[in-house]
Amino acid sequence: MLTRERLGALVSVLLGVAVVTVSLLLLGSHVPRVPERFVAAGVVVRSPAPDDVASTFPQTRPWSPEETSALVNRLAAVSGVVTAVPDRDFYGQPVIAGRPVPDQVRGQGWAGAALAGHRLTAGSPPVGERDVVVGRALGVPVGGRLTVLTAAGPASWTVSGLVDPPALYVADPTAARLAPGVRAIGLLGRPDIGAVTAAVGTAGTVLTGPARGALEPRADARTRWIGLQVLTAMAALSAFAGVFVVASTFAFVVNQRRRQFGLLRAVGATPRQVRRLVHREALAVGAAASAAGVLLGALAAVPLARVLVDAGLEPAGFTVRWQVWPPLAAFAAGPVVALLGSAVAARRAGRIPPLAALREAAVETRPMTRARWATGLAVAAAAGAAGLATATTDDVRGMATTSLLGAMALIVAATLLGPAVLPALVRALLWPLRGVTGTLVRENALTAVRRTASTAAPVLLTVSFAVFITGNVQTTAGAYAAARDAAVRAPAVLVPDGTPGLADAAVTGTGGAALLPTEVHVDRVAVPAVGLEPAAYRAAVRDPGTAAGSPAALAGDTVALSRSTAQRFGWRPGGVAPVTFADGRRVALRVVAVLEDGAPAGLVLPRDTVRAHDPSALTSAVFLPERPAGASAIGARVVDAASWARQADAEEDRLVWIFTVLLVGVSAGYGAVAVAGTLLMATARRAADLRQLRLVGATRRQVLLTVATESVLVVAVGALLGGVVAWLALQGSMGALREQAGAPVALVVPWPVVSAVVAACLLLALAATVLPARSLAR
Amino acid sequence: MVTPAVSLADVRRSYRDGAHRVDALAGVTVDFPPGSFTAIMGPSGSGKSTLLHCAAGLDRPTSGTVTVGGTDLGTLDETALTRLRRDRVGFVFQAFNLVSALTAAQNVTLPARLAGRSVSPAALAAALDAVGLTDRAGHRPSQLSGGEQQRVAIARALFSRPAVLFADEPTGALDSRTSRQVLRLLRDLVDEHGQTIVMVTHDPLAATTADEVLMLADGRLVDRLTEVTAESIAARMAALELSC
Ligand SMILES: Nc1ncnc2c1ncn2[C@@H]1O[C@H](COP(=O)(O)OP(=O)(O)OP(=O)(O)O)[C@@H](O)[C@H]1O
Ligand SMILES: [Mg+2]
Repeated sequence: MLTRERLGALVSVLLGVAVVTVSLLLLGSHVPRVPERFVAAGVVVRSPAPDDVASTFPQTRPWSPEETSALVNRLAAVSGVVTAVPDRDFYGQPVIAGRPVPDQVRGQGWAGAALAGHRLTAGSPPVGERDVVVGRALGVPVGGRLTVLTAAGPASWTVSGLVDPPALYVADPTAARLAPGVRAIGLLGRPDIGAVTAAVGTAGTVLTGPARGALEPRADARTRWIGLQVLTAMAALSAFAGVFVVASTFAFVVNQRRRQFGLLRAVGATPRQVRRLVHREALAVGAAASAAGVLLGALAAVPLARVLVDAGLEPAGFTVRWQVWPPLAAFAAGPVVALLGSAVAARRAGRIPPLAALREAAVETRPMTRARWATGLAVAAAAGAAGLATATTDDVRGMATTSLLGAMALIVAATLLGPAVLPALVRALLWPLRGVTGTLVRENALTAVRRTASTAAPVLLTVSFAVFITGNVQTTAGAYAAARDAAVRAPAVLVPDGTPGLADAAVTGTGGAALLPTEVHVDRVAVPAVGLEPAAYRAAVRDPGTAAGSPAALAGDTVALSRSTAQRFGWRPGGVAPVTFADGRRVALRVVAVLEDGAPAGLVLPRDTVRAHDPSALTSAVFLPERPAGASAIGARVVDAASWARQADAEEDRLVWIFTVLLVGVSAGYGAVAVAGTLLMATARRAADLRQLRLVGATRRQVLLTVATESVLVVAVGALLGGVVAWLALQGSMGALREQAGAPVALVVPWPVVSAVVAACLLLALAATVLPARSLAR
Repeated sequence: MVTPAVSLADVRRSYRDGAHRVDALAGVTVDFPPGSFTAIMGPSGSGKSTLLHCAAGLDRPTSGTVTVGGTDLGTLDETALTRLRRDRVGFVFQAFNLVSALTAAQNVTLPARLAGRSVSPAALAAALDAVGLTDRAGHRPSQLSGGEQQRVAIARALFSRPAVLFADEPTGALDSRTSRQVLRLLRDLVDEHGQTIVMVTHDPLAATTADEVLMLADGRLVDRLTEVTAESIAARMAALELSC
């Protein structure tokens, strides 16, 4: 029986299944794409992958020039190999009309054109030191001059030839200088895979066909990782909200139909049969909703994929891959969600005594059973534990998960324990209301405490999620910005403008402290490192302090370590740290100092050392001793320290914000469905009461006023409890941030979001009750 | 001596209302032999419905024992009690008898189907015919009059041929003609099939159909009339109501 009563459950399961379908479809489509510059090479040999796969998306450990040429020679001798081409990939960005061309930031050696299948369509290959072949779309003719930014700075190059797609190729010796370390070698021809594998040995891995997707740029890998987080969080949130909404809807339905169930019990239905009846209804709702939800999800997948690509949550070129398992799994999820959601309600239904059929109004005797107290307190304790775990963790990703779990547990606990505090809350809220309306509303809410609580539950869910998620994001962003601002002493910061980083030309002469990030490998572990000039750096940044040794001794092949890096590898001041640089060279660095928390990276090296081993590294920021008067170099601009602190994570923050909007949107969508559904049901069921009121002499206005006041009361109760839940959950996150930042953290309450969500709930609640009551109270 | 169809021994049922205690039944001992037709009468609030509920296993007494067909109801768990009720007991309530989503015919066969028994169309037709509702089989409760609903409830109670039939004011909502029909139906069941019936009524005329009338006041049995005429019952009732 699919009646209006179960519409709320139906819609929420439908939405849940739709979201799960979309998420699974898109997750299933998450296969790395073969980068354009390898499409024509059927087999690619990659340098050894690092053991550590963390959120930093490490690169593989590069081969040194000697290792590269030895391996190229071995591979060229394999039967079927026409040529073995080392992939020399470096930073190179054309500048047109004084502006760096966006989205075109990599260059390769001319030999690499064969791996991409690019062919000259005009002119000749690059031969000279400053010859370059570029895509036709740049609009520079053969023989024309083009400014190209490399890590050294802008320079004028001669266009020797053109290819059709966007690209930037330089002469191979130039490329070898810009990219001395090689991470991949492409094979042309029809190589014998077994022979290739034998020739490579332990020097690398052989990739063929779609497996070459592993060569995708790390930026794409990172984007896909963010997409994965968004999709899994959305799916998990909808499953939770689905179970929650089904649970409150069915609790409500069972409560409304006490008399019917009592009658069934009286004429011979066993408790088990009544439970099965509820389960069957839930299953019917779940199955029907599942079918529609899968359809809706499949329809939404393509547009959503486009939205995610546009938002930067999925790499460009991401498309939906149609597979059978995601819709099937999502279809199974619907009935499961419905069954889980209705489990408690079914248990309650089975316990309704036969005499319930004979009693008049649904006066509840005990709003809080012992089981409800026990479960509520247990869940609250679990939420507390999650909060404590959140507050003491220093792992950012773990924190996000535990804090969300904690918030969910708190919501469940608040819903379970709500009836215990509800009477006091109702009395307090209605205290200012005198007269008959107040009395009616109060008595009605208090005689059916559980009903009132389950009507308020969806509001609680919506408000707490919205406030918790946005509050968490804003508090975190604020805390990081404050920490950065506090750390920086310099008045101004030079930052990249339209480029992935600053070239040396923009840095030299500023007199500031420049950070030159790179990545080094310790055995098979990738570790972020940074090059800087110790004196300039200490002048610009508040020194976090030194645990041992002296950072002033940083010069040549030396290194200062963060405390955690020193611990991880067991290195001590005065000892030796063997690392592999970006050019594939292994160098034994002398450890001169161990730094306190707050070090700019795990490994801190002299800037010149980083530059010598990584010719294409780009400077991330320069802290300037004073605001420069003149204009900045190409691809750079000056901002004051405070706005740098705020904007340093601008891109990250933007993604997180989209993420937030999506999550809040999903949970608020559920809330809306549930609020409207439960209240519609409640009003329809009260038709008789309302008519009775009219009969005993209430005017239509009085009846509508009563109904409206009841809705406001329900929303107020839900919003208050939800606010408390969100506040408690935010305390956990703040503890974690304090731990990380090592500084006090200010709680940011997103008042605009709070008011918008509460107002929306209120509007919905009024619409769902007053409109139907208007016709009932005629 | 034959085992009574239903037997109550010192049955009490009290309701707690805060510090206040209401004794709806204050120690009732009575046997209903097989094939007997008993009427229960008494002022409003005297505990008639409560007595019926306890005897039928719909409610559990606060103390005392209830035995149906030799089985002590106090020893049964909820499921076993439900099974016993389904198999041995029929019940017609004062009001709110039918599942509103089901048709008259579906309501009649509901207990049998809950018990997992197959339902023969002929038996259903006979049951509906016995209460004169053959042409109303497909109607839902909202489309039936109060009296018709009551008769559907009687048909349902009799459909599974229970050992004992309890009826709480079965004729309360009926006009005198239908009322007489229903009472004759009950009488015939007793005479021809040896059915045991316990019926609560306020109507002295209805009570005359029974073999015996029990008088209840303040949760106690106060009288037992074996010679049932309308006049004697009315006189006794009037006396009871005065004394309250
Ligand atoms: N759930 C309950 N809680 C408290 N008191 C109750 C409850 N049910 C019944 N009572 C009380 O028990 C007493 C007996 O009730 P019962 O329904 O058995 O009366 P009755 O004889 O059937 O009356 P009527 O002829 O009006 O139907 C009454 O005083 C009633 O108020
Ligand atoms: Mg009664």
